[in-house]
Amino acid sequence: MSFLRKTAWAAFALAGCLAAQQPDFDKVEMQVQHVQGGVYMITGAGGNTAVQVGNDGVLIVDTQFAPLAQKLMTEIRKLNRGPVLFIVNTHFHPDHVGGNAALAQMIGAARGPGRSDGVAPLKIVAHENVLNRLTQKVVNQPPFPDQGLPVDEYFTPFKDLHINGEAVFLYHEPNAHTDGDSVVLFRGSDVVATGDIFTPGAYPFVDVEHGGSVQGEIAALDHILELTVPSKTQEGGTYVIPGHGRICDEADVVEFRDMVVIIRDRIQNLLKKEMTLDQIKAARPSRDYDTEYVGPNSFVQADQFVEAIYKSLTKKSK
Amino acid sequence: MTRRGGFFASLAAFTIALTPVHAQVDFSGAWAPLFHEDLPERLPGPELGDYMGIPINDAARLRADSYDADRISVVSEYQCRPHGGDYSMRGLSNMRIDAIIDPVTEQLVAWHTRMGFQEMERTIWLDDRPHPGPLAPHTWQGFSTARWDGNMMNVYTTHLKESYMRRNGLPRSDRATFTEHWVRHGNYLTVTTLITDPVFLTEPLVRSQSWVLDPGQRMGRDICEYNQEVPKPRPDYVPSHMPDTNPFLKEVSDWYGLPSPVLRGGAETMYPEYRQKIGKPERPKEKCDRYCNCGALDNPTCSAAPRSPR
Amino acid sequence: MKPLLLILLISGATAALAQSARNAAPVDLTGNWVSIVAEDWRWRMTTPLKGDAASIPYKPEARAVIDAWDPAKDEAAGLQCKAYGAPAVMRIPGRLRVSWQDENTLKIELDQGRQTRLFHFGAKPSQMPAASWQGYSAARWEPPASPQGNGLPVGISPRFSAHSRSLEVSTSGLREGYLRRNGVPYSDKATVTEYYDLFQEPNGDTWFTVTTVVADPVYLFTPFVTTTDFRKEPDGSKFNPAPCSTR
Repeated sequence: MSFLRKTAWAAFALAGCLAAQQPDFDKVEMQVQHVQGGVYMITGAGGNTAVQVGNDGVLIVDTQFAPLAQKLMTEIRKLNRGPVLFIVNTHFHPDHVGGNAALAQMIGAARGPGRSDGVAPLKIVAHENVLNRLTQKVVNQPPFPDQGLPVDEYFTPFKDLHINGEAVFLYHEPNAHTDGDSVVLFRGSDVVATGDIFTPGAYPFVDVEHGGSVQGEIAALDHILELTVPSKTQEGGTYVIPGHGRICDEADVVEFRDMVVIIRDRIQNLLKKEMTLDQIKAARPSRDYDTEYVGPNSFVQADQFVEAIYKSLTKKSK
Repeated sequence: MTRRGGFFASLAAFTIALTPVHAQVDFSGAWAPLFHEDLPERLPGPELGDYMGIPINDAARLRADSYDADRISVVSEYQCRPHGGDYSMRGLSNMRIDAIIDPVTEQLVAWHTRMGFQEMERTIWLDDRPHPGPLAPHTWQGFSTARWDGNMMNVYTTHLKESYMRRNGLPRSDRATFTEHWVRHGNYLTVTTLITDPVFLTEPLVRSQSWVLDPGQRMGRDICEYNQEVPKPRPDYVPSHMPDTNPFLKEVSDWYGLPSPVLRGGAETMYPEYRQKIGKPERPKEKCDRYCNCGALDNPTCSAAPRSPR
Repeated sequence: MKPLLLILLISGATAALAQSARNAAPVDLTGNWVSIVAEDWRWRMTTPLKGDAASIPYKPEARAVIDAWDPAKDEAAGLQCKAYGAPAVMRIPGRLRVSWQDENTLKIELDQGRQTRLFHFGAKPSQMPAASWQGYSAARWEPPASPQGNGLPVGISPRFSAHSRSLEVSTSGLREGYLRRNGVPYSDKATVTEYYDLFQEPNGDTWFTVTTVVADPVYLFTPFVTTTDFRKEPDGSKFNPAPCSTR
C-alpha cells in the first residue's frame, strides 16, 4: 500500500475512533476555570480550550467539536466581548480543531487584509503540518472547511505574538503527539497550554501514523518543564493547561514525563532481548501505571500505548 | 426591674455564659512530633523493599520495586518536593498551629498548620465551604475541611498531588483522599490518619501519631533551591530499576532476621491472624545490630549511624 | 443571688455524678474489635531481635536488662505473660471484646494472652489489690479541658471547651514487665495513662485509637507514647484466645 493511501486510511480510522468518543453534545455543559492572569480554561467535550482575554480582545487555543461552537462562544463572551483575534490550534485532531470553522463563521471576520469596521481579521494559527494534515484528502471523509483552516501557519521552531499586554509564544514540538504540535506559553500570565502532549491521568496518545513518536513526546515534555517554574514548595507558579484533564503545574508534568520515560525504558530493554510486539505486550511493561492511567472510558488503553512506543522505537528513519 | 425579674435575667445570662457556644478544642501552639513508633522509618528513612503492614496492590508493589532513590537528585524537580498532606502528619518536622479567627464574629474559621520541613503549610477549613471541583489544581497538602464531633476534629482532604506513602518508593496517587481525627489530651495531640487510594491500596491505610506541646521551639525558614547535582548520562534520563531486577529488596529480611515474603506487604499483613503465616527467616539472626538504640537517651533522634548495642 | 447560683451548679454536678458510668457514656466502646497493624510492624507482628529497642526512650539503666533477655528463663519461671501487661498489651496484634461488667466497670477481654482488663469508674478501693500484670485501672469520661484538669470553669470568659468523647484510664499497681516481647523492661513503678477515642469513617467503619502514655522513672527518660488503632468487627467469630508466649 502506498504511503499516501496508508496515511489516508490511518486518518479515517482515527476520525472514526474519535467520532466514537463523541458525547451527546446537547447535554454537554461548559465549565470555565480561571487559571492565572488573563487566561481561562474552558472544558466541555473534546480537548481543553484555553482562552486569553484582555483589552485587545480574545485569543483561543483549540476549539473542541463543531456542535459545541455556540456554547463555547457563549462562555467566551461572558469573559470578554472584544474581538476574537486569534485561534491557535495545538494539533490537527478533530477534538481540538472541530470548532474552527463554526467559530470563524460566528466571528464573521473576513479573511484577508481587514474588515471595513477596522477590526483586525481573525487569524487561525498552527504549525504548517497541521495545515498539511487538514488539507489531505481522506477517503469517505468530507474535506475540512476552508474557513477553519489555519492558513496563518508557521514553519519555524517558534512563533511569538503580543496580545493583551503579554508575549505569547508558540513552540513547535517536533514529532511528539503528532508532527504538528504546538505548546503555547502565555509569558505574562505564566500559563502553558500543551495540547495532547500532556494528558494527566491518561496515557498520551502517541499518534505514530501522523508523525508522533515517544522520543518527541519525551523531548516535548522536557521542554514544557523548561518553560514551567514553580512557586514556593514546588507547586503553583507556572500553571499548565493540558490537552485533557485538570489544571496542573510543573510537579504534575514531572510525574507524567517520568512515567513515559520509565515505560519507554522498559520496552527498550525488552527490545534488546529481541522480543516481538506480542511478547512485549504479554510482559505488560506498564502494569504498575495502568491502574492510574487507564480507565473504562480511556482513549488510550495500555496495549495501545505500549504499541505506540514499540513502533516509535522500531521505526526505521527515512 | 423588680428584684425577681433581676434574678431570672441574671440566671439566663449565667446559663448562656456557661453553655459552650461551639464544640471546639484549642490546637494552637508549637508542637513537636514524638517518634516512639517507627522511629527508624520516620527519621533516617524507610528501607528499600519494606512494605510490611501496608495494604498495597500489585501496582504499588512494582512501582516501589522499581524505585531508584537517585531519582530525587537526578530529577532536579524532586529535590525540593515537600511531603503530601497525609505523609507530613507522620511528623517529620516540628509544627506550629495557628487559629484563624473571623475578625467580625470572633469565630474560629480554620486552623493553619506550618511544618518546618520545606515550609509546608496547610489550612483546615471549619466553615463548611465546599471542596473545589475536579478540574481545580491539586496541591501537596490538598484541600481540607473539618467538623467537630465533641472534642474530636474530623478532617477530610482531597485534591492531593501524586506523592508517596513511604519514602522508599511506595506511591500514593492523586486520586487518593484521606481523613484525619484530631484529639488533644492535655499536652498531647493525637492524629489518626486514614488514606483511601483507589489506585494503589486495597483497604484504607491507618496510621496514628502523637505530638507534644513544645512552647520553647522556634521554627525558622527552610528555603530549598534545586540544582543539577549529578550529570545525566542522557537528557531524558530517569533512574529506575527494571522489573524484577532491583537487588536491594531483600536487605531488610537479612538485617532483621525476617522471612522475605512478609516484606511484600498487602492487606493480610495488617491482621493478627497473619502471625500464623509468618514462616522462618531464610537467614536467622540472634541479635540486633541495626538501629538498636534509636530513641534511647544517647541517641534520641536516631541521628547516629546504625550500630550494635553496647 | 450568688448562693442560689452556686446551689444550682452543685446540684447539676451532683445529678451528673449520680448517673452510672455506663449511662453517662458519651460513646459506645462495647463490641468486638481487631487491631490493625500498619505501624511498628516488625516489633509487633514478630518477636524482635534481642537487643532491638528502637523507638523506645529508654535510659542507660535499661540496656543491661534488654541485653540480658532470655525467653527460656522467663518460661521456666512461669513469666510467659511478662510482655502482656497493661503498658504493652494493647500493642499486641489481636482481638478485643469490650463490654460492661457492671454499671461502673468496663471490661476488655484480649484474646492474645487471654488477658482481661477492668476499668473501674468511681472511687478507688481503700486497699489497692496486689500488683498484677494488668494493675488497677481507674477510669473516667475525660472532662473538658481546664487548667486543673477537672472541667470546672476558671476565669470570667465563657468556656468553649467541648464535651469530651474520650475515655481516660489511669493504671498503676503493675508487676514489672516488658514493653516489647524481646525484653525491653518497665519497672513496678511504671504507670499508664490511656485515652480511648472513637470515630467513624465515611465508609461506615467504626474505629478507636488508644493513646498510651507509659511513665517509668526507672527505665524511661520521658513518657513513652504510642497510638494503637482498632476497627470494629461485626461479631466475635474471629476472637481466638491464645496463651501468653515468650517468643
